[in-house]
Amino acid sequence: MNTRAVIAASWELVPRRYPELSGFGLFREIIKGALRDWRLSPKELDGLLCTPAGGASGETDAYVHDKLLSELGIHPTFCETLSLGGASHTVMVNRAATAIREGRASAVLCISAGKFLKPSAGGAEIQARMISDNSLEMPYGTFIPALYALIASGFIAERGLKPEHLARVGVSSRKWALLNPRAMMHSKGPITVEDVLNSQWIAEPFHFLDCSIPTDGGGAFLVTREDLAKKYTSQPAYILGYGEYHARGTLSDPGDPAVDGPSNAGAQAFRQAGLTPADIDVVQLYDAFAATPLILLETLGFCAPGTSGAFVMSGATEPGGKLPMNTGGGLMSFGHTGDSSGMSPLIEGMRQVMGAAGPNQVTKANRVLVHCYGGMMFDHATLILGRQP
Amino acid sequence: MTAKPLPDVTALNQIYWEGTKKGELRIRECDDCKARFRFAHAWCPNCGNVEPGWTRANGRATVTHFTVVHRAPYAAFEDVVPYVLALVELEEGVRMMCNIVECDPKSVRVGLPVSVTFEQRGDIALPQFRPR
Repeated sequence: MNTRAVIAASWELVPRRYPELSGFGLFREIIKGALRDWRLSPKELDGLLCTPAGGASGETDAYVHDKLLSELGIHPTFCETLSLGGASHTVMVNRAATAIREGRASAVLCISAGKFLKPSAGGAEIQARMISDNSLEMPYGTFIPALYALIASGFIAERGLKPEHLARVGVSSRKWALLNPRAMMHSKGPITVEDVLNSQWIAEPFHFLDCSIPTDGGGAFLVTREDLAKKYTSQPAYILGYGEYHARGTLSDPGDPAVDGPSNAGAQAFRQAGLTPADIDVVQLYDAFAATPLILLETLGFCAPGTSGAFVMSGATEPGGKLPMNTGGGLMSFGHTGDSSGMSPLIEGMRQVMGAAGPNQVTKANRVLVHCYGGMMFDHATLILGRQP
Repeated sequence: MTAKPLPDVTALNQIYWEGTKKGELRIRECDDCKARFRFAHAWCPNCGNVEPGWTRANGRATVTHFTVVHRAPYAAFEDVVPYVLALVELEEGVRMMCNIVECDPKSVRVGLPVSVTFEQRGDIALPQFRPR
């Protein structure tokens, strides 16, 4: 029996504020959209993976899987709520594919939705409490941009990166967003390096325009046995390689918080795929802040140490460049949807490899690498998708 | 202005906070394997000894990561921006988070030598670091 698992379909909410919907209400919208557009009957599902609801708003619901299976009317043989922050969604691909290979499921719905409470509306303190050690870290005035700024500062000092290098990451993402009608910043016009450097400081080295945009949203994808995928698509996404690494649980832990996670996860994925960075056409690199795509370009092996700045300054990551990056606009210009943040880079990677991206489709997208992380770069997952097995 | 957050004092970390009250920065040291680490571990993360001891750090450290925070995350920090949030490496090899105080935030850099000082916050003496 063919037990290869493939990605057969994806569906995504347009990122924006949905004040009329609760955290769980967003899940319902995604299910309705997916059932309609995929022509899927819930009876076809024997696996379900989801993230918690309400985390980024301080109201975590860890029983989403029970509510979903009840409302779908299904009795899956494989099901869980999976909580690894921004890495959750990429990890789901591996968990679903493993269950399918083991014969425990044949069609797994993976779904996530999030509402990201604005930092200025109380979100900063709620999220700081969730992510910081309450004795060792919280008293010092932690919050998410400042914690990422810590990670970035060591990397920037060691590798000689400059403020304009960070700024160009946001410029690149905005260029992609202008091509993607679904991106939050689609109609906001281009930005320049000077615009970023002139925007107000949040926590050095991050200006306002070096940060992603909090919003609401989410999405779903379907992982099936290869023979079942034909019902949903003529071009599935094949899973060529996967790696995962959990580097630390707090920034006060030893080691290099920028390097340990992605270098280990990435090396596993390339080894499994039998590929090198030179074989990859398109990358989706989780960009909560402008520094992280630079960190990932170097630690995943796309750029030699200290050269990611010159690489982005050359336009290589922009439309028409040699390594299109964050082709949907990234979290910085598409939008950061709280608990479902890692869904948008992943779905964008799936769309590119399946040839279904629409106006922002890259001509050559035979192999796409997605790297997402959770927490303060604690949990890492690297996935390499291909148009061919 | 709301009050700045206070640490949770627990059975695990009580000896640490008793130390800071006396002007001592205490870290854990495993009696078996001599590994040094923070109080956040209830056992030795190196060898698994479930009753690791304590030792006093000399208070000297180096800044390894830092940020100057310009936008206060919430009301308690509004009157102290810009402030420096940092990770420092103690000479004993243990990393800890702190603020770099008693200096111009613009003067802080990776590699800056610092030494411990204590900020009185409520009943807690909170370890902080300043340039040395």
